Amino acid sequence: MIEAILRTAIDKRWLMLSFTLVILASGLWSYQQLPIDAVPDITNVQVQINTEAPGYSPLEAEQRITFTVENALAGLPGLIYTRSLSRYGLSQVTAVFSEDTDLYFARNLINQRLSIIKNTLPDGLSPEMGPIATGLGEIFMYTIEAEVGAKQANGEAYDSTALRELQDWVIKPQLALVPGVTEVNTIGGYVKQYHVTPKPRAMLNFGISLQDINTALQGSNSNRGAGYVELNGQQLLVRSEGQLKTLSDVEQVVIKFIDGSPVTVADIASVGIGKELRTGAATRDGRETVLGTAMMLVGENTRTVARAVAQRLAEVQPSLPPGIKLEAVYDRTTLVDNTIATVQKNLIEGALLVIVVLLLLLGNVRAALITAAVIPLAMLITISGMVKTGVSANLMSLGALDFGLIVDGAVIIVENAIRRLAQSQAQNGRILPLKERLSLVYEATNEVIRPSLFGIAIITVVYIPLFSLTGVEGKMFQPMAATVVMALIAAMVLSLTIVPAAVAIFMSGKVSEKESRVILASKSLYRPLLITALKLRWWVVSAAFLLVASSAWLSTRLGSEFIPQLSEGDIAMHAMRIPGTGLDQAVSMQLLLEERLNEFPQVDKVFAKIGTPDVATDPMPPSVADNFVMLKPRSEWPDPSLTQAELVAQMAKSVRQLPGNNYEFTQPIQMRFNELISGVRSDLGVKIFGDDLAQLVTSAEEILKILQTIDGVADAKVEPVKDLPMLSIQPKRMALAQYGLHVTDLQDYVAAAIGGEKAGMIYEGDRRFDLVLRLPEEIRTDIARLGELPIPLPNASYVPLAEVATVAMVPAPNQISRENGKRRVVVTANVRGRDLGSFVDEVKQRLRQELDLPSGYWLAYGGTFEQLESASKRLSIVVPITLLIIMALLIMAFGSIKDATIIFTGVPLALTGGVFALWLRDMPLSISAGVGFIALSGVAVLNGLVMLSFIREQWRDNSELYGAVVEGAMVRLRPVLMTALVASLGFVPMALNVGTGAEVQRPLATVVIGGVVSSTLLTLLVLPVLYYWWHKNDINNNNNDV
Amino acid sequence: MKPLLFLLHIVQSFLGLSCLLLSLSLILPSAMADHSSADDDEAHEGHDDEEVDRGHEEEHDDHGHGGHGDHDEAEDAKGPNGGKLFHKGDITLELKIHEQGVAPQYRAWISDHGKQVGSGTGAQLEVSLTRLGGQVDIIKFNRGADYWLGDGVVEEPHSFDVSVKLTHKKQQLEWEFESYEGRVQIAQSIADRANIITAIAGTGTVSHSLKLYGKTSVDPGKLSHIRARFPGSILNVAANIGDFVREGDVLVEIESNESLRRYQIKAPFDGVISNRHANPGELAGQQTLLTLVDYSLLWAQLQVFPSQRQHFSKGQNVRVKIPGLSVNSEIKHILPGSGTEPFVIARVPLENTNGEWSPNLMVEGLVEIETREVDLVVDNRALQRFRDWKVVFIQIGNTYEIRPLTLGQVDDKVTEVLAGLNPGDRYVVGNSYLIKADIEKSEASHDH
Repeated sequence: MIEAILRTAIDKRWLMLSFTLVILASGLWSYQQLPIDAVPDITNVQVQINTEAPGYSPLEAEQRITFTVENALAGLPGLIYTRSLSRYGLSQVTAVFSEDTDLYFARNLINQRLSIIKNTLPDGLSPEMGPIATGLGEIFMYTIEAEVGAKQANGEAYDSTALRELQDWVIKPQLALVPGVTEVNTIGGYVKQYHVTPKPRAMLNFGISLQDINTALQGSNSNRGAGYVELNGQQLLVRSEGQLKTLSDVEQVVIKFIDGSPVTVADIASVGIGKELRTGAATRDGRETVLGTAMMLVGENTRTVARAVAQRLAEVQPSLPPGIKLEAVYDRTTLVDNTIATVQKNLIEGALLVIVVLLLLLGNVRAALITAAVIPLAMLITISGMVKTGVSANLMSLGALDFGLIVDGAVIIVENAIRRLAQSQAQNGRILPLKERLSLVYEATNEVIRPSLFGIAIITVVYIPLFSLTGVEGKMFQPMAATVVMALIAAMVLSLTIVPAAVAIFMSGKVSEKESRVILASKSLYRPLLITALKLRWWVVSAAFLLVASSAWLSTRLGSEFIPQLSEGDIAMHAMRIPGTGLDQAVSMQLLLEERLNEFPQVDKVFAKIGTPDVATDPMPPSVADNFVMLKPRSEWPDPSLTQAELVAQMAKSVRQLPGNNYEFTQPIQMRFNELISGVRSDLGVKIFGDDLAQLVTSAEEILKILQTIDGVADAKVEPVKDLPMLSIQPKRMALAQYGLHVTDLQDYVAAAIGGEKAGMIYEGDRRFDLVLRLPEEIRTDIARLGELPIPLPNASYVPLAEVATVAMVPAPNQISRENGKRRVVVTANVRGRDLGSFVDEVKQRLRQELDLPSGYWLAYGGTFEQLESASKRLSIVVPITLLIIMALLIMAFGSIKDATIIFTGVPLALTGGVFALWLRDMPLSISAGVGFIALSGVAVLNGLVMLSFIREQWRDNSELYGAVVEGAMVRLRPVLMTALVASLGFVPMALNVGTGAEVQRPLATVVIGGVVSSTLLTLLVLPVLYYWWHKNDINNNNNDV
Repeated sequence: MKPLLFLLHIVQSFLGLSCLLLSLSLILPSAMADHSSADDDEAHEGHDDEEVDRGHEEEHDDHGHGGHGDHDEAEDAKGPNGGKLFHKGDITLELKIHEQGVAPQYRAWISDHGKQVGSGTGAQLEVSLTRLGGQVDIIKFNRGADYWLGDGVVEEPHSFDVSVKLTHKKQQLEWEFESYEGRVQIAQSIADRANIITAIAGTGTVSHSLKLYGKTSVDPGKLSHIRARFPGSILNVAANIGDFVREGDVLVEIESNESLRRYQIKAPFDGVISNRHANPGELAGQQTLLTLVDYSLLWAQLQVFPSQRQHFSKGQNVRVKIPGLSVNSEIKHILPGSGTEPFVIARVPLENTNGEWSPNLMVEGLVEIETREVDLVVDNRALQRFRDWKVVFIQIGNTYEIRPLTLGQVDDKVTEVLAGLNPGDRYVVGNSYLIKADIEKSEASHDH
């Protein structure tokens, strides 16, 4: 079949060549569609269901909402687990689905379930699904601020309420329409509300209750259409207007008549623009601000959407009143551009280096260009493939592409072709006629096509283990493997078709095969070395063995890390205050912090989100602030060589002097991923499920005590479930009955008086604002006098609150976490200096023996150990299978287990070089480096293959083993050197780059470069030695062996 | 020979296989395994001082003290009784604050060559505690049943520089260490920026007041519904609604039906005619002809509910208020209500010569229950909850420390301090939450 393809390729060479145009066109078109991002999206398939429940305490939110929602979700197809959070005014349930679930399908199912439970939820509450976005979704943030001296239409300066109004009604509606934006989330400022604040004395005076006021307001605030009448042929619409429009409209609402005179709202209450009881605030550079976040729809192209948002923002600016400033504070485009620039630079420089090497070693410009043409073509095919398979272009997916590997196949073919052409021309002393040339090209290609195809196939196969990774690792590395495999397959197809076609067409003139000086010099150096090696074979083999052993030892000395963290170029920082800290207090502490951060000359902007935004995508309590520290370009730093880690250390030191804050430093995208993936991030998490929170905490502490006695435990702690004082108003039922009140009367009154009660809407054009009824600020915040708050009675008299209720500070949970429909508390621990498996087993056994859980409580184990266990299990199956496949391929190629084994021994020695390179550059082992090792195994096998197949051919041809080994090795010196050089040089830019994102690729490149060096040495010296050694006993019957 | 060779090949090929297998399976999972811990280290970058605190908490065993302190970790060895250990030569001292079930007390175990040192040995142990601000508590130890017991209660907070003196076998041994809790250092410049305001604790007035509501009413003695003594026809009505009449002024003239004699009805007191149902020519029967009210004195009838009853007595000062108007008066009587209601009425007279007040007006009465001069008060803004205590934070230099207080009377502005603070102590008034936050911050975490 291969022959058939080759023949067609050479016969129909012009047709083949024209395919390049197709490839070009489809590649360029695909490039437009290719989602480009900085990092792969590692968010799982999840749907957040948020229910805003104004005024609900955590316990009520859990009991009335969370529980119902969780139950409704049970049994959905593909659902892995649910977890939930009940906080003040918010219930959030997160449903996590299996990876293959279609997000929209899941959302649809959830929607259906939610509509069923709607009736069982308290009135006025409706669960909503979070935005259709992932951890990469927060691509653009901007602030709205007023310049000093800017005045509103009514002459007042802009306050945060006015700015928020602009955001909600002018800016957000415009940005929300940008294609690819799924949500514009707002935090900061105050949502404008109309407040009616009645004075208790005045209410008593007229015998008016809050309910009366509410009814009056509701009843005097609507427009109504009344059909139409026809008058002399003209249709007249009828409409009755009664909406309240202004503050004075509200003031004039009549509540009641007393002795014929009206009592209006103005008589008993003041009416004004008020502030909502907000759950979040935003700050920037030491002042409060309003912050908008544009969230990208799942699967969109980050760069396109972020750019579109930025552009729309610029268009919005003129529509704002003078003096209002919209400013982008975070734009993902920068990061994406930077990382893509890094990747592009690596790829282009790599490609150029490869071309230069080809030129130098082939000594033929045309041949070099034909080979180099494989690079862009393979790249374009890969891009088309990525679009088809939905792989996004990012640091990881493009990170392992090595043009050296891609051109390997083509190099071998082209090299052989020009060698044969040159030989033949030299023999015949003339330029070959077309027909001869074609058949020669065919022969030359056919000669080496098998080993090179096998080589490529083998390199492809070694990437298989990467496909078996799941979870976060899978999401990071599967695209990488997919891209590399696609590129390799593309290269394979190209070297079967277009490369021979192009050789046939373009190598028409005189083919000078002047062995370049480099090759000549190497050859003259190589021959004596090889002969010496063959003589000292014992020494060579033991030296190789020693090297492998020492590198194995060295590899245990290297540190290890998961994946080198992509440096996003900006710093994110959690500032944590003690639980229970109020929003205003948190804001004032935040402002101090920002002033401090702004003192750093490297800092461009600092902004922060405190508490929970409008759409609770990240429900934080007011005590936690997400800080974003945007840095200036390095060139503007006083010391541009300062690393980010050092800067972070300086910042940490500085901000730690500020009282009352704890900090965690991270990076914006990383922070978001962590928040979304959540779950237990320690090695082991023991989860206790049950009903009673106090019992859960007690049991958790018992577990902690047991854990602490187990060998190897580190950082064991109980998840903070802290009770905070809550102002609890407990009704005295007897007393209430005496005054003719029900418990709900009391509760309604207290809720309305302190929390406020919605009494309709005020419309200003499109803008609509809540009309809220609640007691004046000085009364509702006067806790000491809360007991004296008069509660109106049905008979127009009153009773003080303390008479019918007890007011007390009672500890209550500030947050309730649940998982899979049950309350839970987690005890987490890490393991140091012991293997995880035995540790977990011991924990399980000890807990079974020593822990006494009440009935109705149970344990579950989670944590990264699960993933590790499953990953190791999978790898322990997949890796041997992969190796067997490679073996099988080799055996297929050679029909000899012995030769396959000889080639295979190349792998450890290749890995040796990688380990030494890591050690030299002081880099830890990481998955990135692991991928390098995988690529390396492929290169090593490929080199061995090329070398061995020629030695075998030589041996078959002249039946003299020693000569065959030496001559075969000499002939293959050029291709081996070439493949090695291109493979390693292709990675050199990657290994040396310091741009954004380079840290992820660096270990990979380092490993490959180091490994290729050692692998080449091996292929050139050890392999011939081994071959000679093992086969010299078969000299007599070598023919049976083939 | 051949099968042997073949076997060798197989062995070697397995070597190669296992090498690759090993390196792969080593690299991948170990990299993953270390991820979590590395990640964790990173995440906790900001918690260096937390670690220190933890060590500290353990030392204070049972109440999770969130204090700050820089400890020499090496010193923090724990003894068999869970106390702090000290060695010198063969002598070992273990010292512990014991607070399970008893008021906090010092206990000590002394051993020499591994043997417990009892009372008969002439050993003497003394611990002096130097608190922030220079107060020194000296605790002497006596040999109890199983341990040496320090005399006196170790007052909260357990935050002091400890100096231990042990005399045993003519050897004078001394140790010193710091044991802080609820203490933080904040530089003055930062405290100023953070609006931390301090004040000196001292004497003050604590008043206890309660707010009552009630309606004003006319003095029943100053309201007269004037009727005709004998039925008859009305001849003349001298006063109209709104007229001010003096006592003795003739109001109505009536001709009696029976005697046909005229008689006059005179104003019984000074007042204003508020109602008139009489006109000349009409017949005066049982109906009210005129209503005369004296508005110069009104009563505010404030409702006192059962739970408040105990606080009220005659003669208490009351500030009666409506928006824009307030007068001082006092409770004249306390009477039961109208019968069906559970509350009693505190009656407060309101001078109304200027006519500012009107009857049936809902008024607010702020009753001063008690006003006392007390020796020590603190500003209410200074009070914070810390563990189970109410505390203030005292400031000495750049150091702030909790002072758990026993509190007395509370009013709108200040709170009486019964114990826990000394007059003249400088304590934090403004932004005291920040100090609490700083002390407790080791507990703050990112809880999503």
